[in-house]
Amino acid sequence: MDDGRPIFLQIAEQLESQIIDGSMREETQVPSINDLAAFHRINPATALKGVNLLVDAGILYKKRGIGMFIAEGARERLIAARTDAFQDHYVRPLVAQAKALGITPEQLRRMIGREAGQ
Amino acid sequence: MTAVIEAKGLTRHYGKVRAVEEVSFTVETDSICGLLGRNGAGKTTVMRLITGQEFASDGEVTVFGESPVENPAVLARTCFVRESQVYPDSFRGKHVLKAAAHLFPNWDADYAGRLVDEFRVPLNRRMKKMSRGQRSAVGVIVGLAARAELTLLDEPYAGLDAVARELFYDHLLADYSANPRTIVLSTHLIDEAARLLNHVVVVDGGRVLIDADADDLRGTAVTLVGGHAAIERFATGKEALGWDSVGGISSVTLAGLSDADKAAAVAAGLELAPVSLQQLIVNRTRNSIQEVRS
Amino acid sequence: MTAIAVAPSLGHRVATTVRVHASNPWALFYTPAFITLGVFALNYAIWRTILLAAGDKPLAPDAFDYNGGVTWVMFYLVVVAVQAMNQTFSFTVGLGSTRRDYYLGTSAVFVALAVTFGGGIALMAGIERATSGWGVDGHFFAPGFLQSLPLWELALMYALALAMLMFVGAAAGSMFVRWAATGVIIFFGVLAVIAVAAIYLLVASSAAGPVLTWFGELTPLQAAASTLPVTIVSGVAGFLVLRRATPKG
Repeated sequence: MDDGRPIFLQIAEQLESQIIDGSMREETQVPSINDLAAFHRINPATALKGVNLLVDAGILYKKRGIGMFIAEGARERLIAARTDAFQDHYVRPLVAQAKALGITPEQLRRMIGREAGQ
Repeated sequence: MTAVIEAKGLTRHYGKVRAVEEVSFTVETDSICGLLGRNGAGKTTVMRLITGQEFASDGEVTVFGESPVENPAVLARTCFVRESQVYPDSFRGKHVLKAAAHLFPNWDADYAGRLVDEFRVPLNRRMKKMSRGQRSAVGVIVGLAARAELTLLDEPYAGLDAVARELFYDHLLADYSANPRTIVLSTHLIDEAARLLNHVVVVDGGRVLIDADADDLRGTAVTLVGGHAAIERFATGKEALGWDSVGGISSVTLAGLSDADKAAAVAAGLELAPVSLQQLIVNRTRNSIQEVRS
Repeated sequence: MTAIAVAPSLGHRVATTVRVHASNPWALFYTPAFITLGVFALNYAIWRTILLAAGDKPLAPDAFDYNGGVTWVMFYLVVVAVQAMNQTFSFTVGLGSTRRDYYLGTSAVFVALAVTFGGGIALMAGIERATSGWGVDGHFFAPGFLQSLPLWELALMYALALAMLMFVGAAAGSMFVRWAATGVIIFFGVLAVIAVAAIYLLVASSAAGPVLTWFGELTPLQAAASTLPVTIVSGVAGFLVLRRATPKG
């Protein structure tokens, strides 16, 4: 839990990551709001905010009287969204850092190739 | 959402000392509101005014829509627990719990009993003879087991060791989840309580410095670290909450940076570090002192 | 939403304060009771010593008739009243009672104490009479002219006098709670000034004679009843002062 960013965002992101890496499967239930709150030691309203973000994005849906479930196709949608953001979140800082160190684009490409080849 | 507490221009003077000055804020039903600030900032006085134990010199406060002063209907729904609570010399822990059982209509004796075991409170010992932590534990037990619709906790964990504090947060959260109620928690230890809070009211020198939603507040500030020149360039024209430098490196804490600004900072080779709620508030209160001095 | 609590009834709220006081029976009851018995025991010892010293010589029939011992205890109860308020006010109001409920509960406790001790002293006076003055013709619980008073009148007289003393104590206690020691000193200073002024006026208007005569003609019970206005005024004054007092802590 990062203290410098809105916690509800972090809750949403954690749930998203778990969906993407497969530890939570589609059409299964996610932990209840109170369980999430107790686990992370946060206010239930904050947990609810995070979950609602995902409901609004169509990643989760509510089954009345039971709880929140992961929507079908959620994983695909999340991967697509994160791939779009990948450039901004990872590539740009990587390039900036490389520039600061004086690494040329050629060297950078070779380094990436070495990593990605593995 | 209705407001449980509405303070408007609340003021309390003691002769020349202005303990609380023009304080206005609202606490929504079933929220957890942090009343934060340094020691002596006026947090306890505000809570005493809210519970009708202190008389306002000016302004007003309503609780459940009415004035709390000498109002048994309002006070029956309120529980105020604080470290500075005075106990009769002869009182033992069990007497405090018995008195609480009579004063609070929603009192849950079983829950209180379980808490006594968990916090290891020696009920037969006099309050005077208990350690600071044991006294705090008694206060915490009263605050939790009273199940009052409005619960005010003033520095409730003074003297509690880390294990007891974790116990307190866990119980507070669990009971709040099962039995939602409005909680006002005052503390000068912000980081620990930060995640529990919905709403943050920061008091400094008797005045309200910040009144905001906790999540909105988080992430409004960012610390940039980098070479002195680059930092200076970036910070001109922006509201700086704090500066620091060592050698050729400087750091500046800025408020209100947009995503575009943050991206530009990264591109400029500056490092971004998050600012916790505690750091944010410490910076703001430190700055307000400097303003007063200059 | 947590259950919306209905305000407990007045009786329940007042009972809460009564229970807070009652949780310390030593300060309110046992200690004054033991002091009473202790002072009595001391007096008894002195009587026996005098008898021993007198040897065969007969003593005057009213040798052990007059005794101020009981009055000391009565004044001690004033101290008990002040202490009781000082100890319990900040706690009870601090935990959420209103000042009014607290004062009503405390007043109820004081009345109960006055009645209990009044009755208790009368009971001891009864035993005193039955034992012909503890076997030594000693009079402690009903000394001097009170010897001939019927026991129920004695009980009522003591209760009324104690009530007055305890409510004066309540007023002083309220002042102590609100203004601390300085306030109490000022209170008694003002009281002394009023007393002196009243005496001066009485003497100056030559009303002293008739007033004293009237007073002297009252029976002990009537004299005690005449203190009721003082009791009531003290009680009301105490409340008015306490209404704006703030609990410590």
